[in-house]
Amino acid sequence: MSSDFSLFERHVDALYRSALRLTRKPEDAEDLVQETYLRAYRYRNRFKPGTNEKAWLFTIMTNVFRNRLRQRPAPEDPIDAPGTDFSIYDQLRREGMPVHLMSPEEIIVDRGFGDEVKHALEELPIPMRMVVVLVDVEDFSYKEVASILGIKIGTVMSRLHRGRQALQKKLWEYSGRPKARPVAVGAH
Amino acid sequence: MGDHCEQTMRNLSGYIDRELSDADVRQVKAHLDDCPPCDKVFEFQAEMKRLVRKECCTDDAPARLREWVRQLATEKPKPAG
Repeated sequence: MSSDFSLFERHVDALYRSALRLTRKPEDAEDLVQETYLRAYRYRNRFKPGTNEKAWLFTIMTNVFRNRLRQRPAPEDPIDAPGTDFSIYDQLRREGMPVHLMSPEEIIVDRGFGDEVKHALEELPIPMRMVVVLVDVEDFSYKEVASILGIKIGTVMSRLHRGRQALQKKLWEYSGRPKARPVAVGAH
Repeated sequence: MGDHCEQTMRNLSGYIDRELSDADVRQVKAHLDDCPPCDKVFEFQAEMKRLVRKECCTDDAPARLREWVRQLATEKPKPAG
């Protein structure tokens, strides 16, 4: 049995980083991952060898997470948010930036997007956040995400679409904030 | 914006996520080769996806959690904590 279970061990980093995006707190993420593994251990005989063990673990983890939310709803989390039609690229183009002459890397570095991606992601409503994490970070297919979360593929696609737009909107808002500048000591 | 542009934009997420049929992939690819403005949008959105992944893959599990899971895999589980 131990050799079977060791198959699941390799996904601890993936589970933890996703748990961190969902719970936002290291101690809660660690606790969520532990409960996920305890359940996986308890129900290990239900896992069908040869199927995707990473998807199986994520199914357990998202179920545990949603059950916890039901018990202790976080008041700051909206259940779902209306779609925000937004793209950083279009916004820059509207503002007259020569985006067509710039590489995507240049645009991203220029605006300082990057540092705050995690923060922006953690501010998305949970249904969108789960889909963006599963598709963009964990590389699951739409079909796998539909199965993990028990939703339709069309729902996966619409949440992904809205989630990515909302993420770009958050990043845009952050990048417009005045940034702390180092104090120029001894500057003339 | 032509019909081809609109259709390509509708299929862009599926294209980036490798979720399109082979026929749709060919169609999107052919349009992007012909249409620099759409291709720039594609490049930007694909880079955003890479950025999300890169930024979020930096948090590894703490060593004690890793060790706890390793023990679970090799022996009887102890109470979490």
